Amino acid sequence: MIKITNLEKFYRTEEVETIALNKLSIEVKTGEFVAIMGPSGCGKSTLLNILGMLDDPDEGSYVFNGIEVAHFTERKRADLRKHNIGFVFQSFNLIDELTVFENVELPLIYTGVPSAERVKRVEEVLDKMQIMHRRNHYPQQLSGGQQQRVAIARAVVNKPKLILADEPTGNLDSSNGNDVMELLTDLNEQGTTIIMVTHSEHDARYSHRIIRLLDGQSVVENIMV
Amino acid sequence: MIKNYIKTAYRTLLKNKGFTVLNVLGLSLGLASCLLIIFYVVDELSYDRYNTKADRISRVNEDLKLGENNVLYAVCMPPLAQALKNDFPYVEDAVRLKNGGSRHVKKGGVNILENKTVFADPSLFNVFTLPMINGSPATALTEPNSVVLTETTAKKYFNSTNVIGKTLTFDDNIFYKVSGVIRDIPRQSHFDFDFFISMSTLPDSRSTEWLRSDYNTYVLFKNAGDHKKLEAALPAFLNKYSGEQMQAQLKMSMAAFEKGGSFFRLNLTPLTDIHLKSNRTGELGPNGTTQYVYIFSAIALFILLIACVNFMNLSTARSANRAREVGVRKVLGSLRKHLIAQFLIESILVAFAATVIALTAAIALLPAFNQLSGKDIIVNSQTMVWLIPALLLIVLVVGALAGSYPAFYLSAFQPIAVLKGKLSAGFKGSGLRSFLVVLQFSISIFLIVGTLVIYNQLNYIQTKNLGYNRNEVLIVQNTFELGNRANVFKKEIKQLPGVVNATMTGFLPTSNWKNTAIFFKDAAFDQKKALFPQTWEVDEDYIKTLDMKMAVGRSFSSQMLTDSSGIIINESAAKFLGLKDPLNKPLYRSNGGKQDISNSKEYHIIGVVKDFNFSSLRDVISPMVLVLANNPGALSVRVNTKNLPVVLSQIKDKWKGLTPNIQIDFSFMDQDFDASYRAEQRVGTIFIVFTALAIIIACLGLFGLAAYAAEQRTKEIGIRKILGASIAAIAGMLSFDFLKLVLIAILISLPVGWFLMNKWLQEFAYRVNIQWWVLVLAGFTSIFIALITIGFQSIKAALSNPVNSLRSE
Ligand SMILES: Nc1ncnc2c1ncn2[C@@H]1O[C@H](COP(=O)(O)OP(=O)(O)O)[C@@H](O)[C@H]1O
Ligand SMILES: [Mg+2]
Repeated sequence: MIKITNLEKFYRTEEVETIALNKLSIEVKTGEFVAIMGPSGCGKSTLLNILGMLDDPDEGSYVFNGIEVAHFTERKRADLRKHNIGFVFQSFNLIDELTVFENVELPLIYTGVPSAERVKRVEEVLDKMQIMHRRNHYPQQLSGGQQQRVAIARAVVNKPKLILADEPTGNLDSSNGNDVMELLTDLNEQGTTIIMVTHSEHDARYSHRIIRLLDGQSVVENIMV
Repeated sequence: MIKNYIKTAYRTLLKNKGFTVLNVLGLSLGLASCLLIIFYVVDELSYDRYNTKADRISRVNEDLKLGENNVLYAVCMPPLAQALKNDFPYVEDAVRLKNGGSRHVKKGGVNILENKTVFADPSLFNVFTLPMINGSPATALTEPNSVVLTETTAKKYFNSTNVIGKTLTFDDNIFYKVSGVIRDIPRQSHFDFDFFISMSTLPDSRSTEWLRSDYNTYVLFKNAGDHKKLEAALPAFLNKYSGEQMQAQLKMSMAAFEKGGSFFRLNLTPLTDIHLKSNRTGELGPNGTTQYVYIFSAIALFILLIACVNFMNLSTARSANRAREVGVRKVLGSLRKHLIAQFLIESILVAFAATVIALTAAIALLPAFNQLSGKDIIVNSQTMVWLIPALLLIVLVVGALAGSYPAFYLSAFQPIAVLKGKLSAGFKGSGLRSFLVVLQFSISIFLIVGTLVIYNQLNYIQTKNLGYNRNEVLIVQNTFELGNRANVFKKEIKQLPGVVNATMTGFLPTSNWKNTAIFFKDAAFDQKKALFPQTWEVDEDYIKTLDMKMAVGRSFSSQMLTDSSGIIINESAAKFLGLKDPLNKPLYRSNGGKQDISNSKEYHIIGVVKDFNFSSLRDVISPMVLVLANNPGALSVRVNTKNLPVVLSQIKDKWKGLTPNIQIDFSFMDQDFDASYRAEQRVGTIFIVFTALAIIIACLGLFGLAAYAAEQRTKEIGIRKILGASIAAIAGMLSFDFLKLVLIAILISLPVGWFLMNKWLQEFAYRVNIQWWVLVLAGFTSIFIALITIGFQSIKAALSNPVNSLRSE
C-alpha cells in the first residue's frame, strides 16, 4: 500500500537546518498494523504527516496505492487524502464549537455524502464506538477517553483504507488507552491498515511490526509474533 | 507601579504592532474627521456672537398674509425704528440698514463695481460691535453723504486707513466724505459690507409710511429678557401706527383687514438665530440652514461612534489572547485592581496617542477642508480653550470604554481555569462584538444611501428642464450704467453675427431681482382673491431669448401698441386665478393705497407662459406675471458658442464705445445657476468625503476583527483541512460569519435610510424619488467592501498549512 524510498525532509529556520527525515525507506502492506517508535524529535510526526499527505517531502519517492504522490499538488493530495486516510491525534483535535455528532459528520460533508446517508453512517459509527448516548454533547463535556473515541469515530466514518494515529493514547490513562488500542485492533482486523506513532512499548505490542527511528533514519524493524 | 503599567502597556502594544497600528489609525482617522466637522458646526453656530451685546439684539420682521399669499419679510417700515425707541423705554437703541446695491466707486480714473454697500443709521456702532480704527463711532454716520469704510476697503482706495475727510466718488457724480474706518466685518456675521453710507443721505429714510417694508431693523434692548415684552406689545403698537394709515388710505381698520383672512404682523428674530434660522424676503445676505448643521453633527457623531466601536472591538478582541497573561499574573500575586488599572491605562494610552495624531491631522487638513466646505475656519488659541478639555474627555471616555471589557471581564477569571485553557473566549461567543459590527455597518450603509440620494438630487437639479434654457446665455450686468444709450447697446448687440437674440431686463430666473405687486381679478378688489405675484418688467425679446415656451397666447410684440397694457402670466398664476380660458381676461394692478378703478391699472392677459423655475428648486413655482416695460437692469444675450471669444470681444468693444469709463461686468447664466446651488453641491461633496472616511474606518475595524477571528480559529481551520475541507469552503466559512452581520446591518439600515432620506427630499418641491436600485446598490456596495476586507484574511487563513497550526501539541 505504501512504499517510501530515500525520503528526505528538512526544516530551515534562519540559523539552522534540521534534517527531520534522512533517506528513509519504508514499506507498509495493506492490512498491516505498524507502530513507529523513537525518541522525541526523531521525526515520527514528520513522517506521519508526509504519509498523510499533509506535508510533502523534499526528496525521495512516496508511492501510495501504486501512485507516486511525492510531488502532487495540494489539491490532488487533499482529494486522495479525504477518501483514503483517517487521522487520530494525541490531543484529539475535536472542534469545540461542534457537538459529537457534528464533529463526526464533518468528513462526510467534505466528501459530499448526502445528508440522510450521513446521519445513518454517523449513528452507525457512534454506536460501534459506544458513545451514541453522547451524540449531542460538546467535546469539553467528555472525558479524555470519550473524546478520543469520538476522534476515532471521526477518523473511520469515511471508511478509510489507512488510519494514521499520532500517539493516540498519549493523553489517556492506561485503562482508556487499552480501550483505544482494542478499537484500533478491531479496525485492523476488519481490514484497515494502521500506522501508529507511540512511546509505549505496551501499546506497540498491539501492532504487527515496530519501526524504530533515530534521527530521521530507520534503525530496526521488529516483527511481532 | 504606574511606571510598570506603562512599561508593560508599551511593550504589549509594540508586540502587536499590526493591531496597534490598525487601532490607532482607525481612531485617529475617525477623530480627525469628527474634529473637522465639529469646527464646521461650531463655526455655523457662532455667527454674530462677535457682538458683545448679541444676546440683547433682535431683528424686527414683518409677516404679511394677503388673501392666499403669504410673505415673510426680514424688513420693516421706514419709521419703525424711531417709533420703537420713542414708545418703549426698555428699547435702548435701534438701527436700520438698507441694502445699497451695486455702486461704482472711482479709483484713479477707473470705476470699480462695488456690491457690498449699505445705508445705515448712526446708531449702527452702538448696536453692533464694529470697532472703529479711525473716526468717532458716535458721529461717523450722522451727516448726509458720509461713508464709513472697512479697513481693507480703505487700503484698497487710499493705501491707508488714515483717510478721514477724504472724498470718494460714487457713480461718477456723487461725492461721499469718508467719516470713519472700521475693522473688517468678522467672517461670522450675517451681513458683510464694505461701505456704510449714512442713512440721512437717503431721502426715503425720512418716509413716514407705515404700509410698506424695506428697512432691516435691529433693536437693542436694555436687558436680555426684554424681547418677550416687546413681542407682546407689538400688535397694539402696529395697530396704532399702521392701523391709522390703513384707515386713512384703504378705508379699512386693522380688525376688518384681519377679518378678511389677511394679516399684517411684526415679530422678532434674536440676532444669533438669524444665520441659521431665518430665510425671509429681504435678508441682508445669504444665510445658512440648521438642517446642514444637524446633518453634519449627525455625520460627526456617526464617524466618532464607528471609530470608537472599532477601537473597542479591536482592543477586546486582542485582550482575549491575554487571558493566559492574566492567569500567570494572578498566580504570581497580582490583585484584581492591579489588572484593571493595567488594562485601563493601556487603553487610555492608545486613545491618547490617537487623539494627538487626530488633532495634528485635523489642523493640517484644515485648509483642504475649508476649500471643500467653502468656509474660512481658523484654529487659534481660543479654539484650544474648549477643544483641549473636550479632547481629554474623549480620550478618557473612549479609552475607559474600550479598556473596560478586558479590565473588568478578564481580570475576574480564576487563574486555574485560564491556565488550563478552559477559557477559549471564543470569538463567536461575543454577542457584544457582533452587535457593534452590525451597528458600524448599519451606519455605513445608511451613509451610502444618503450619499447616493443626495448625489441623485443634485444631478436632478443640474439636468432638470427648468422651463428656460440657461446654456449659451451671456449676461451683461448693470446696463443701466449706459443710461438712455442702453437701448442703442441692445440694438447694436443684436446685430452682431453670432448673437441669436438679446433681451434687456434685470429680472432673470438666475438673478436676485425680485418684485411683487398686488393684482385683482375683477374690479371688486376682493382681498381674499388678491394675487400677489412676482411682477417682472421685460421686453418683447424676453420669452424668445430665454427659450421659454408659451402655453397659450403670444409673447409681447413691438408692433402691438396696446401691449403696454398687455400682461403675460405663468401657468401657476392662471391656476391660482382659476382661469380656464385666460386670454384677454382683465387683471387690475393695485397702486398701493386706495383700491378703486381710478387708482389702479387695468391689464389684459395676452398669453400664458409655461411655468419656469425662477427661485430655488426647494420651492414650488409661484404665480408670476410679466409686463412690458423698459428695464435696463441687464442685457441677456443668447450667443452661438462656436465663436464665443470673438462675440465676447465685440460686445466688450461696443460697451467701451458707449461708456469708456465703466468696466463691463458680465457672467454666464449657467454659471449663475450653478452658483445658486453651491451650498447643496458643497454638502454633497462633504457628505461623500466623510461617508468614504466612515466606510474606510469601519473596514479597518473589520479587517482587524477578521484577522483576529482567523487567528483564533487556526486550530479549527487546521482540523477541517485535514478532514478534507477545501480552501474555498474554509474561506467561505470564515467570511460568512461576518457577512451574516453585514446582512443584518443591511436589513436594519436600508429602511431607515429610505425613510430619513425621503424626509430630506421633502425639502425640495422638485425632487427625485428614491429608486429601488439606490437601495440595492448600497446593499451590494457594502457586501462587496466587506467581502474584500474579510476575504483577504479568510483566504490567507485558509491557505495556511494545517500541520503548522496543529504542531503546538
Ligand atoms: N515546522 C517545523 N519547523 C522547524 N523544525 C521542525 C518543524 N517541525 C518539526 N521540526 C523539527 O524536526 C524534527 C522532527 O520533528 P517531529 O517530527 O515533530 O518529531 P517527533 O514527532 O518524533 O517528536 C525535530 O527536530 C523538530 O524540531
Ligand atoms: Mg511528535
